[in-house]
Amino acid sequence: MKKIFPPAVHLAVLAVWLIVALYLIFLYAPREATMGEVQRIFYIHFSSACTALLAYFFVFLGSMGYLWKRSRRADDFAYASAEVGFIFCSAVLVTGPLWAKPAWGIWWTWDARLTSTFILWLLYIAYLMLRSYVINPGRVEVLAAVVGVIGFVDAVIDYMAIRWWRTQHPQPVLGGGSGSGLDPRMWLTVFVTWGAFLCLFFYLVRQRMAMAEARRELAELRRELAA
Amino acid sequence: MVNTFLFLAYSVVWVIFVVYAWTLSRRHARLRKELEDLKARVSKPSKP
Repeated sequence: MKKIFPPAVHLAVLAVWLIVALYLIFLYAPREATMGEVQRIFYIHFSSACTALLAYFFVFLGSMGYLWKRSRRADDFAYASAEVGFIFCSAVLVTGPLWAKPAWGIWWTWDARLTSTFILWLLYIAYLMLRSYVINPGRVEVLAAVVGVIGFVDAVIDYMAIRWWRTQHPQPVLGGGSGSGLDPRMWLTVFVTWGAFLCLFFYLVRQRMAMAEARRELAELRRELAA
Repeated sequence: MVNTFLFLAYSVVWVIFVVYAWTLSRRHARLRKELEDLKARVSKPSKP
């Protein structure tokens, strides 16, 4: 991966992609008829939400990989996805109320979608707190992997909430059936922005995984020196 | 007033991403430096 797509190239692609996304958001996408300019929050809100959900899916996959094969790489991937996913989930919880206030007249409501997203954010915190309290280094990975697997139930509920229940949150835009569509220019903006956010996510995850590798190498060297 | 929300949403999100990326790169750089120092200590022949 490092040879095919070095971090510097990844960063350059990311920078261009983000600039294109910002151009589409502010200069290309049409102004929404009822909400006006504030609807442009949708592009970062939606992209952050999809990335945060996908990140938890990666936490689940990495955790399963660790529990099944005891793969260090899978554990690193789960840990990195959780840390970066937490950042994206925080972005969702910041942009949501900032859009809700002018659109609904309220900052927050405890409907199924908003509540399950908040729980997802708490799950990310729980996972990261567990990782930082290294009481027994061999055991913490297993405990975190169990949290990663069980917590995935909430990610599924979060995704399905607007399909299963009537919520204050709007019905799905993506895969929501007929009548849930967007203007084609808005679709293009959504996909380019989400692509840019995914590119950012993977850049941060690979940086975080490289850090985990360096930390392990450092621990081994310290052990060698102490011996 | 509405544009204030738009401005706030984009500003806060970029601040979150930039601060995280910056702390991540600092943590990584510190680790790499520590690793290089330790490698140098290991490879350096000890004085009699």
